[in-house]
Amino acid sequence: MRTLAAKSLIEDIPISIAFFDSSFCFTASSTKWLSIFNIIDDDICGKALDTVMPEMVNVLKPLLIEGISGQIPEPNDYKITFSDGRTEWINLKVYKAENTAFEFGKIGVVAEVVTESKGRQELLIKAKKVARIGGWELDLLTNKIYWTDTTKQIHEVPADYVPDLEKGINFYKAGEDRDKITQLVSEAMCNGTPWDTELKIITAKGNEIWVRAKGEAQMVNGKCVRLYGTFQDIDSYRRIEAQYNSVNERLRIATGAAGIGIWEFDIQKNTLIWDDNMYELYGIQKEDFSGVLDAWEGSVHPEDKERCNREVEMAVNGVKEFNTEFRVVWPNNQVRFIKAESIVQRNPEGKPLRMVGVNWDITELINTKRQLIESDQSLEGAFENSSIGMALVSLEGKFVKVNQSVCNSLGYTEKELLNLTFQDITYPDDLEIDLNLLNQVIAGKRKSYQIEKRYFHKEGNLVTVILTVTAVKKINGELSHFISQIVDISASIDAKEKAKKLLDVTNKQNESLLNFAHIVSHNLRSHSANLSMLTDLILNNKVKRQEQQGAMLMLREAANSLGETIFHLNEVVQVKTDINEKLQELNLYTSIGNVEKNITELFREKNVDYTNLVPSNQKVIAVPAYLESILLNLFTNSIKYSDPSRRPSITISSNETDEFLEVLFQDNGLGINLEKYGQKLFGMYKTFHKHQDAKGIGLFITKNQIEAMGGRISVESEVGVGTCFSLFFKKP
Amino acid sequence: MKKIDRICIVDDDSILVYGMKLMMNEVDFCEEVLEYSNGLDAIEGLASIVNDGEPLPLIIFLDLNMPIMDGWEFLDEFIKTPNYNLDNVSIYIISSSVDPRDREKANEYEIVKGYILKPVTTNDFSEIQEAIYKKVV
Repeated sequence: MRTLAAKSLIEDIPISIAFFDSSFCFTASSTKWLSIFNIIDDDICGKALDTVMPEMVNVLKPLLIEGISGQIPEPNDYKITFSDGRTEWINLKVYKAENTAFEFGKIGVVAEVVTESKGRQELLIKAKKVARIGGWELDLLTNKIYWTDTTKQIHEVPADYVPDLEKGINFYKAGEDRDKITQLVSEAMCNGTPWDTELKIITAKGNEIWVRAKGEAQMVNGKCVRLYGTFQDIDSYRRIEAQYNSVNERLRIATGAAGIGIWEFDIQKNTLIWDDNMYELYGIQKEDFSGVLDAWEGSVHPEDKERCNREVEMAVNGVKEFNTEFRVVWPNNQVRFIKAESIVQRNPEGKPLRMVGVNWDITELINTKRQLIESDQSLEGAFENSSIGMALVSLEGKFVKVNQSVCNSLGYTEKELLNLTFQDITYPDDLEIDLNLLNQVIAGKRKSYQIEKRYFHKEGNLVTVILTVTAVKKINGELSHFISQIVDISASIDAKEKAKKLLDVTNKQNESLLNFAHIVSHNLRSHSANLSMLTDLILNNKVKRQEQQGAMLMLREAANSLGETIFHLNEVVQVKTDINEKLQELNLYTSIGNVEKNITELFREKNVDYTNLVPSNQKVIAVPAYLESILLNLFTNSIKYSDPSRRPSITISSNETDEFLEVLFQDNGLGINLEKYGQKLFGMYKTFHKHQDAKGIGLFITKNQIEAMGGRISVESEVGVGTCFSLFFKKP
Repeated sequence: MKKIDRICIVDDDSILVYGMKLMMNEVDFCEEVLEYSNGLDAIEGLASIVNDGEPLPLIIFLDLNMPIMDGWEFLDEFIKTPNYNLDNVSIYIISSSVDPRDREKANEYEIVKGYILKPVTTNDFSEIQEAIYKKVV
């Protein structure tokens, strides 16, 4: 019963405890024991440990054996992995149960879950290992020194190494470092002052490394009994720091030399930090401003300030980084252009913390760029608008760029030309000399050349130009391309040819004028000679009385002839060559009709068979008076030289050619021997018929009139068959 | 001074022909005058005379400007007519043309012995008379 009561007492103890007999069977356990170890069976008394808690056998059985044999083991923490995969740190304490008031069994075990505190400890050790922090302790009473494994590793000594104070001190690098630690240790021992310093040691393997040594003294009654502390390998950190410093120094030198200013804006505190270069960029003295924000505000060009502030805001809000350009005004009013680039740094939540950026002066760049743009623009303008054709030509002869003048001269569009080479459109005869000269330029024998050459116009005709080719070199001295200047001289060549033609015409006109002058003098002289001869004969009484009447008649005839000749000459003179303004569009059919009306009587008298086949709406360009004069002359000629052996027939028809309107005037008259008289037919005072009315003036005037209207006249004739005149008039 | 048998005038100007005949009559120039009003008539007329076995006229007065066939054409035609004995024929150009080219052209013909510029005077005939006389003697 005691046992039972005791047993139930054990069950209710609020700690986890269990008792075992010497054969490792449970004698009692608390309910908490069951719950900690997740034991479902609520009556484990008399049952073996192996059966109830198989996962604990490895850990617990040796402890129980030790305990039963009288060697109570030290309490310790054990990592237990349960059947459900859970891992717990459990502290196990073993008791001898025999001495207790109640006899529950041989051995008692108290279990306590220490996972949480154990975890923290474990983490610390791990962290120390990762951070390479070692511990040490010096017991000044025993003068024993203790180093943890990490401390030994830092010193690169074996694990069984036994240090002492002197050995420890001697690891520090001789000189500055060793003196320093000696002093710090002495002070701590005397005054209890802790130390925390960074010094160099030489390891057992001879490596020099940086360490952080921390130490504290434990004082008892003003006397130091113990020193302890940590020992951390900070060599890589110091090296990184040293590297950082050297990089930083290099950056400082570089940015200083490049005039790059570095700034940092703390968005939260609204503070701005500048390096020295910044002040130089802004042309100001640090001392003249109360703060950097003040300096910035005071320096930025008023016109750019608002925009800059907006851009900073945008950068802070994450819209766009602050990469911009603005002007600053120096105290001497000089305006400088500043280029800024920066990034916004944010915390993991995305909240902007600060902006870090650089400034540099781009005034020269801007000015150069501006000059370049200006000169580029003026060059571009000169290139585009030049009346001289200009082209950039690649070394292979391809057109890279052409202006409008080139296009105009050659008849191609810019796009078409850019797909061509100059070889494609050069007149073959001119290609060799051009290529020879070009090769001389490529070979460096000459810088430029000028030739007169011919291109094919898109339409196929030749364009004559004066070509000037100049080589353009790259910075490295190699040829880049050619500039071709093309002066189109086709027009002046055309003009030259026109002038030559005009000269020919003028010469011919002069010649015909000379002929005309001779004809005039000849004809006038003929009549005046007759007049003077007759009057001479009469005055000298050479004319017999009975002939005097006849002589007088002759005198009158001569005078009349003189008058008539003068009239003809007047008519010829009136056919002017420049009658363009009098030219007009006329209805040919109607004009023929009008002339025909005037000679209806003559037609009837001669019984003329007349046919007008000209379309009633046929238009022609002519001077009305000339057209009528020409038609009248041809009508009267046909009647005058009609063949008396047959009924006169006249047929007029028309026929359009490309350039002219051809009017055919056909009769069945006597005909003219063209082989004999063809050349003289249209000459002045040439007659070919033994006809009393033949004056030799009509066709001469007709020819002159039709030529004055820009047309021409030709004739076909056969003696005894008839004559056909072809009149060519300008078409509307 | 021996009177010339037969001369020939080729000219379409009837007034001139009338005047010339008056003047020739005055200086007793010739027995007979053949008149043709153009080159073609003259060629044909002379041919028929030669055909009839009669001699060519010693002197031909030739106008240059005539219808149908002018003086130059006559000359070319006349001198190349076969069987003509031209040794005794002298041609005198009668013209009102002062064009030096006409005078030069006239000189190219061997048969042309003179170029008389209108108006013709009695004196012209006297000189020709003398020249012919000298030639004959």
